[in-house]
Amino acid sequence: MMLSRTGFAPLNRSLGLVSRRTFQSSAKRCLTIPFLPVLPQKPGGVVGTPNDPYVPPPVSKMEGPIHWWIEKTFAVATLPLAATALIAGPLSTTYDSVFSVALLGYCYMEFHSCITDYIPKRVYGKFHNYALYLLGGGSLISLLGIYKLESEGEGITGLIHSLWTGKTTSKEVTESSK
Amino acid sequence: MTLLARNAYSLLSRRGLASAAASAPKATTSRLKTFKIYRWNPDKPAEKPQLKAYQVDLNNCGPMILDALLKIKNEQDATLTFRRSCREGICGSCAMNIGGRNTLACLCRIDQDESKQTKIYPLPHMYIVKDLVPDLTNFYQQYKSIKPYLHRKDYPADGKEILQSIDDRKKLDGLYECILCACCSTSCPSYWWNQEEYLGPAVLMQAYRWLIDSRDQATKMRQSMLENSMSLYRCHTIMNCTKTCPKGLNPGRSIAEIKKQLAL
Amino acid sequence: MPGVKKLSGLQKEVIHLYRQWVRMAHTKPIDTQPRFMNFIHEEFGKYRDLPRKDFTTIEYLLRTGSRRLQMYSQDDVKDIH
Repeated sequence: MMLSRTGFAPLNRSLGLVSRRTFQSSAKRCLTIPFLPVLPQKPGGVVGTPNDPYVPPPVSKMEGPIHWWIEKTFAVATLPLAATALIAGPLSTTYDSVFSVALLGYCYMEFHSCITDYIPKRVYGKFHNYALYLLGGGSLISLLGIYKLESEGEGITGLIHSLWTGKTTSKEVTESSK
Repeated sequence: MTLLARNAYSLLSRRGLASAAASAPKATTSRLKTFKIYRWNPDKPAEKPQLKAYQVDLNNCGPMILDALLKIKNEQDATLTFRRSCREGICGSCAMNIGGRNTLACLCRIDQDESKQTKIYPLPHMYIVKDLVPDLTNFYQQYKSIKPYLHRKDYPADGKEILQSIDDRKKLDGLYECILCACCSTSCPSYWWNQEEYLGPAVLMQAYRWLIDSRDQATKMRQSMLENSMSLYRCHTIMNCTKTCPKGLNPGRSIAEIKKQLAL
Repeated sequence: MPGVKKLSGLQKEVIHLYRQWVRMAHTKPIDTQPRFMNFIHEEFGKYRDLPRKDFTTIEYLLRTGSRRLQMYSQDDVKDIH
């Protein structure tokens, strides 16, 4: 018998989460965020007997196709706007406002998606809501910052332009969370 | 070209046959290849899992990974545990992670370079029952939840089969071949994070198979089941599923088609 | 406060599982209950010396433990040996 005990290899090297010590770590333990408390999970992720079907979450109109449409609209709208801004440089305030709001919407949707992925309600309970509040609050502040930039400064594209060239063309460049 | 390939194949299979008939003359040199296999015994849960190395003589073994596994189980270590049934890629039992890729052991050729080791793990991010056997209860529960059978209110008056046009039948090609081996689902990072709620590519592809079946009349019910943030929309088009499918199917495309169907 | 130790989440889960088992034992016929209790003590006692930090093993045992609980709590199960 040649059953030599050989070294351990991480199950998934690309993840970089599974270390030598925690080779066997069950799926949950190695994927949780360390400083957040987790709720107790169903054993093996199985609810009911093996013969019961999985029960999907309740239907919510806002999280179905509508959510998908909003996400894709922001994503697709941001693309030409960003491209034009990159090529043509600072444009009118209206254009700039539309661009920054679209960009903010896109960021919001994608961060929202990240939170549903990585801080799900099933595992973290109320911390899922806290993360959403944090995201909502941050987005509101960003919106305020955009408003300030557009009304007082020279807009997002102008700000980046001035940062790039190193000279400020307007009276003041307001810093904001964006 | 094809002739050459066929010749090479017949050579290979002759070698395989030679192993079966022990009396046949065979190459005297043995080509030992090392297989490292994930071992974990549920009877001793406090012991950590480990990779055990087994050496198999390639001159004396069939061409597929499953042949090597069976050889190890027969000749070296009878405690090695894995699922296998049809050994021709139609049952989907022997799905495992071979050399970092989810595939069927019976369809995966052994790398004939004996200087390289082959590492064999169970399907990633599943609860392990023993050695290479993952717990697929959740996967089957999810499959059951999409009601994978025909729903109809009325049946043909003549009591015979429900007819379907050739074009409608063609839509099912590339979907019905799925053998539910769970290779694609377990290769999906989204499924790793949220496998309790996200259905995963294999089950979603079957959901699509019933959604576009012209004979099925429960499309509304099937669609509304997917209208939440978890079941379908956790797919981020990572496409690991399509890349890994041992049957060459395209679950990524069917998920995109479901999204299109729901949105339009 | 000395003597009162705050239990970790996993320890609470183990105690919860134990209590579920004991509750299950009390639903069985009165003359077989001691045998169920013996069985429960035996099974939990097997892993008494498990290190507190061996999360993976404890999680595995919790999983199998609750699955077996499901099996034994069926009404058809009247006795245990």
